[in-house]
Amino acid sequence: MSNFNQTQGYQIIQNWMQEKGHEPFSFQSQTWERYQNNFSGMVVAPTGFGKTFSVFLAVVIDYLNHPDKYKKGLKLIWISPLRSLAKDLAKAMNDAVDEIGLDWAVEVRNGDTATKDRRRQERLMPDVLLTTPETLHLLFSQKKNARWFKNVTCIAVDEWHELLGSKRGVLTEIAISRIRNLSPKLRIWGISATIGNLEEAKEVLIPYDVKTTMIRAKEKKKIKITSLLPDQVEELSWAGHLGKQMSSKIIPIIYENTTTLIFTNTRNQSELWYQIIIDEEPDLIGQIAVHHGSIDKVQRNWIEEAISQGLLKAVVCTSSLDLGVDFKPVDCVIQIGSAKGIARFMQRAGRSGHSPFETSKMYAVPTHSLQLIEVAAVKEAVKQHEIEARQPYVLTYDILVQFLVTLAVGGGFKPEETYAFIKQIHAFHYLTKEEFDWCIHFITQGGNTLKSYEEFHKVVLEEDGFYRVKSRRIAMNHRMNIGVIVSEVILFVKFFSGGYIGMVEEYFISKLNKGDAFVLGGKVLEIQQIKDMTVLVKRSKKKKAITPSWMGGRLPLTSGLTHFLRLKLSDALTPNNRERELKFLYPLLKRQETNSHIPRHDEFLIEMIETKEGFHLFVYPFEGRLVHEIMASLIAYRISQIKKLTFTIAMNDYGFELLSDQEIPLTEENMNAIFSKENLIKDVTASINASEMASRKFRDIAVVAGLVIQTQPGKRKTNKSLQSSSGLLFRVLNDYEPSNLLLKQAYNEVFDYELEKVRLQAAFQRISKSKIILKKASNFTPLSFPLKVDSLRGTMSNEDLSKRIERIQKQALK
Amino acid sequence: MMQNISIISKTIWCNDEVLELTNQRVIYWKAKKSLILSDLHIGKSAHFQKSGIPIPKNVLTRDLERLKQLILHFKAENLIIVGDLFHAEYNSDLDEFKTWRIQFSNLSIQLIKGNHDRFSNSIYEQFQIEVFKKDLVLNCLKFVHDFVTPSTDYFTISGHTHPGVFIKGKGKQHIKLPCFQVTNTQLILPAFSLFTGLNTRNAPKNCKNYCFTNDGIFEI
Repeated sequence: MSNFNQTQGYQIIQNWMQEKGHEPFSFQSQTWERYQNNFSGMVVAPTGFGKTFSVFLAVVIDYLNHPDKYKKGLKLIWISPLRSLAKDLAKAMNDAVDEIGLDWAVEVRNGDTATKDRRRQERLMPDVLLTTPETLHLLFSQKKNARWFKNVTCIAVDEWHELLGSKRGVLTEIAISRIRNLSPKLRIWGISATIGNLEEAKEVLIPYDVKTTMIRAKEKKKIKITSLLPDQVEELSWAGHLGKQMSSKIIPIIYENTTTLIFTNTRNQSELWYQIIIDEEPDLIGQIAVHHGSIDKVQRNWIEEAISQGLLKAVVCTSSLDLGVDFKPVDCVIQIGSAKGIARFMQRAGRSGHSPFETSKMYAVPTHSLQLIEVAAVKEAVKQHEIEARQPYVLTYDILVQFLVTLAVGGGFKPEETYAFIKQIHAFHYLTKEEFDWCIHFITQGGNTLKSYEEFHKVVLEEDGFYRVKSRRIAMNHRMNIGVIVSEVILFVKFFSGGYIGMVEEYFISKLNKGDAFVLGGKVLEIQQIKDMTVLVKRSKKKKAITPSWMGGRLPLTSGLTHFLRLKLSDALTPNNRERELKFLYPLLKRQETNSHIPRHDEFLIEMIETKEGFHLFVYPFEGRLVHEIMASLIAYRISQIKKLTFTIAMNDYGFELLSDQEIPLTEENMNAIFSKENLIKDVTASINASEMASRKFRDIAVVAGLVIQTQPGKRKTNKSLQSSSGLLFRVLNDYEPSNLLLKQAYNEVFDYELEKVRLQAAFQRISKSKIILKKASNFTPLSFPLKVDSLRGTMSNEDLSKRIERIQKQALK
Repeated sequence: MMQNISIISKTIWCNDEVLELTNQRVIYWKAKKSLILSDLHIGKSAHFQKSGIPIPKNVLTRDLERLKQLILHFKAENLIIVGDLFHAEYNSDLDEFKTWRIQFSNLSIQLIKGNHDRFSNSIYEQFQIEVFKKDLVLNCLKFVHDFVTPSTDYFTISGHTHPGVFIKGKGKQHIKLPCFQVTNTQLILPAFSLFTGLNTRNAPKNCKNYCFTNDGIFEI
């Protein structure tokens, strides 16, 4: 260490920091030294402790010490998942560079960058480029792009934990390998928050034969979690109906703090809670805003700016504000409903009290009583530092196909060389030569059928041995489709008099007629006209309006959280003194224990209840909605092998319900066989419509691989004669070309991600070791009640629902 | 070679005419020894291929093979196509259609032009196709591509919309099937080509849906 401390570069930085009254954290100086010694690696630190400067200043110090080793042009590429982060980061970096007295240019390039700036960058790249994985791939599709990357010495990937578990992670892995191929001495550095599989995360980012290191900050963020308790506990927990009575408890918290972020889980919920809060406290109008992914970008930027300046008391938001720039005034966070995961919960809590050593303050507001157990579980997990792992994607042929075409558009590629560097990427470690050849065949001939498609010339092999795209139109279409984020068909919402409000899905708007009112961005709007993928609206005076639902809102509980949930429930009747959630829930838990049973950690509870409606079977694996969906159809399938029955299925994050009009033949004798782990995957495959699920997965794959052309919101539908749905393509390929690798990928993704095969197997493994408890109850129990309510919700409108719930509740309590 | 398809039909009355709806996406009109169909979209797969989207070529081959079996089965002498015979530009798919056409030199084809049919007359002449710009009236039936206004004098037969029906079952099960949509005054044909999507919205008021599968046709 001492030698490094003597270097000129280190001295300059040390002095610069001292002038500002700072001292480097030890993880920062450790990073700087390791970087200088040619390491690649990963920095793990909580937000607010200057992890950006750990890697950025490492490159600066190395440059100051060895300026002769650096050539003109791009030196550092900084990849971050969010566009909005880039602008502020660039400003911080530029300030640092100026104050240190370095003549570096730090610039941003992403979808928001103006054309003239892009052209300028293409003539002369800045020294530091802040960008996104997609924009990097777009650069690869430019002519003669190799010249930009020859002298890059470092790629830094910010918020790597966010990219890791998504297909954007694979885009990042590919980009790194491609640049490393052009600049072999490249150092690769990731910056991550704590996740359950840090070693694997590092391995995925840097699978190469280079020196690597992991640097963990010793500094810890303090988090204080408080749950807001309703006035009294309902012995039967209402599902999602605590809203109104909780709003009166939220208002004082908003007033007590400078700025509060209120997190909800869906965009629909955020609109609803915005209404609930301003109904409760009209004085807050003008000081409270709603922020989510479907609100117009300009308005979102305005809101973010207003938070930074402390102009807002509160913002109701979704995961849209999970990441992003630090908002200094935010000193309190409220989570409404379940955060569904430990990592997300901590991430959100961390949005408050941003500066080092400040405590993050988080209030948890349950939307039904049982969620209080979840809060207790999260607290326990945070205490034990148990955070979920993120599973990296592998063998994503769709992205490979897209990347090969990207290379073919950007000056061409030679297959041997490309195969060699693709093979090094973690995601394609197990890619065979045959599969690679299939991908080449797919983009040159169109597939693997015996008949070649004589009109298909997407990519052509030229005499010099390079594969290239010759058609300008194909190149243009491809550039527009680069990336892996696939959205529903989206329409812009715009005032008739001008001014954008946001976006809605075509699916939602297709159910409305002219004159109907809906809520967006906290405004009540009336549909005037729909034209060219744009909904024209005016303000409405109507009191009643529909809140749009956006697809994909319902996340399941993570396995990390469900584990702690089972533990908490197990000893829920004997809480320790500090667990006020469990103490509060005592009457409800007591009722569950009396009327049925509370499953201990080595038990597995099944309840059978007979009502006027029919015969109910309630099962509580506590594994999250997705796993329950699969389990429910599996168990229904196995029971129907004994006796032919029709079931109605309902599920939530705690369990599932099978409802039948006839008695369900489940007994103490056969229950072990029905919940057996034997023949699991075989029975699952038989019980679900794998083909239909694969068809859904294929939607994204088809877009990424360039089979379906996406229409941009606000644009007129172009290429009308080329419109086809992925469902149709899926059917056609299934019928005519079943060996297609993209189809295979769709089926694989169903089993690995949709079915969560590993998690399902682990669940049955656990059940096989547990004692199965079968209880017959005469009426709904506290655990079964939310499930019952959820299944009612599907069929009825909200008004009738609360009355109906009340009635059932009364009957059950008799 | 494709296996023999199973042809199952259901007879309905439209004004005074007897029409046989089949599960193979065509209507047989015995009185005129005609097959009535819509939306073949010949050239669609090649058009996609030209734009760099690989669609299996045998999509067209199987469509044409199916049409051949239908013609032989009903001993049809005439085809009435209510539009969208061709999808886009002249491409290799049309060569395949040309070869197919030669084996039925005695078959007459009448086409009511659809929004996709944009070739000059000489091309239709090449294929021995009689073209009608707007509509064709035979007995009390009026053939058009897209149904616009109801007619009191005729029973209208159209295509264009690729109708389908959404059938909901218990336990959140659902299925989408292609169908014929029939009211007292009109009938909408399903698209003949298998490489077409389904439109389950915008059904005419009070319509009966005759949907079908590979081995049956039934009313919903």
